[in-house]
Amino acid sequence: MTKRYLILEDGSIYEGEAFGAPATTFGEIFFHTAMTGYQEIMTNPIYHNQIVVFTVPTIGAAGINHRADEAIVPMVKGVVVREVAEVSTNRLQTMSMHEFLLRHNVPGISRLDTRALTRHLRETGAQKASIVDYPDDHAFDQLRALVMTNQEVQQTSTPRAYVNPGRGANIVVIDFGLKNGILRMLNDYDANVTVLPYNATLDEVMNLDPDGIVLSSGPGDPSAVPEDILDLIRTLQKEVPLLGVGLGHELFAMANHVEVEPMPVEHHGMNHPIREQITNQIMYATQAQGYQVVKGTIKNSDLFVTHVDLTDGSIQGLRHRNYPAFSVQFFPDTAPGPIEATQPFDDFMDMVNIRRGA
Amino acid sequence: MAKEIVDAMAMQRALTRITYEIIEKNKGINNLVIVGIKTRGVYIGQHIADRLQQLESAEIPVGQLDISSYRDDHSDAPVKQDLDVNIDGKRVILVDDVLYTGRTIRAALDALMDNGRPAVVNLAVLVDRGHRELPIRADFVGKNIPTSASERIQVNVEEVDGYDSVEIE
Repeated sequence: MTKRYLILEDGSIYEGEAFGAPATTFGEIFFHTAMTGYQEIMTNPIYHNQIVVFTVPTIGAAGINHRADEAIVPMVKGVVVREVAEVSTNRLQTMSMHEFLLRHNVPGISRLDTRALTRHLRETGAQKASIVDYPDDHAFDQLRALVMTNQEVQQTSTPRAYVNPGRGANIVVIDFGLKNGILRMLNDYDANVTVLPYNATLDEVMNLDPDGIVLSSGPGDPSAVPEDILDLIRTLQKEVPLLGVGLGHELFAMANHVEVEPMPVEHHGMNHPIREQITNQIMYATQAQGYQVVKGTIKNSDLFVTHVDLTDGSIQGLRHRNYPAFSVQFFPDTAPGPIEATQPFDDFMDMVNIRRGA
Repeated sequence: MAKEIVDAMAMQRALTRITYEIIEKNKGINNLVIVGIKTRGVYIGQHIADRLQQLESAEIPVGQLDISSYRDDHSDAPVKQDLDVNIDGKRVILVDDVLYTGRTIRAALDALMDNGRPAVVNLAVLVDRGHRELPIRADFVGKNIPTSASERIQVNVEEVDGYDSVEIE
């Protein structure tokens, strides 16, 4: 097996073995604690330009199956894991994880101590990293010279509108980076979905006569999103039922004058209990969160808290006091993740269908 | 044979949605009073009040209304029911389990008005089954269930019946 190295911006070097593509790669490194769903994680647009560390010791045993894609190509720039399963007996798979990464020129590195790496990353927080053939000064110079883009939404959003037809409610999805799971859920309600680029204008949205609007899950920093979008959300929430997910939740909060800040330790996993405030019920969902709304700024806004993460205390859901508009920080589309957290879609479609008299 | 058409989970979700709609329509919970129509309307009203309290950390008064003597198939003059909550100038949410002919709600409005002058009265029902005989409609509906007049709708609440469900027979 070919030796390769994972190097971090702070000078750390981890030696491991190559899998996937033999390319050199750069990105922001983060760790994901989910036990399942590696394909969904690798293809989730929220991880665009990132290098994922899986804390679960082995992945790949289920192969790759296109029904589990969250985008047509992998979004991560690199994959780090203790061990890649060499054998998969999943009858649904079309290729192995190694073949998948090779096909899309994404390198991976295995057989390194991902526990030590994860503990280190918990201390340092997000930083730049690279998977290289040799960890010399040149490699570190290249890594330190790397400038991470703040144009993540612009890069992942669709350049033009497209339709995902259905016979039910007319839903407009504004694409700030859109994982397939959201469209899959809307398909379950037979919604007639139009996906618009992130920079859609008010007229472009309203000319479609939407029954409901979804702000999609994103990648990137909400404060890097153009200010016009907040104005658009402020207008739309008065007109049409609105659901925000992930980045869409953060933008919904900002549009209503609630502040959003980077989290001290990012959270990527599906093991935090989330409490629905109104019923006191606990649920688990996939979370991919680098930012959080600032609690103290909710009180003077028109929003109120609907969901709270019981492990780190972060706000997981907000709702507008005066309009049919709400948002969740977690991913309610179950791709991957427990299927108990899909309620926001039910609530949203109820809201939509009651208003359209269906 | 009774057939369950709304299970406990769906019933709880419907009450959650009604609660959010009440906040949206009233722009908050200031001045809000819930009045449940005996028997099951009281428990449903209490569930809504509990949810409002969870969200807003403020207790919402819940009154109980017995409307039997106000019914229009009752020939004697109605006996005034004393509500245990003040409704003068309040935003009242009147709660019942099933909205059918509208006659119960008409009686409830009379019983309510004998107790004061609310600023607004809204009606929340878990089930609207149609067949109105009076010009009355609900502001908040958990479930619209189209029925024929010969069918029977039964709402069960845990406090009285031991379980939550809506059944049709």
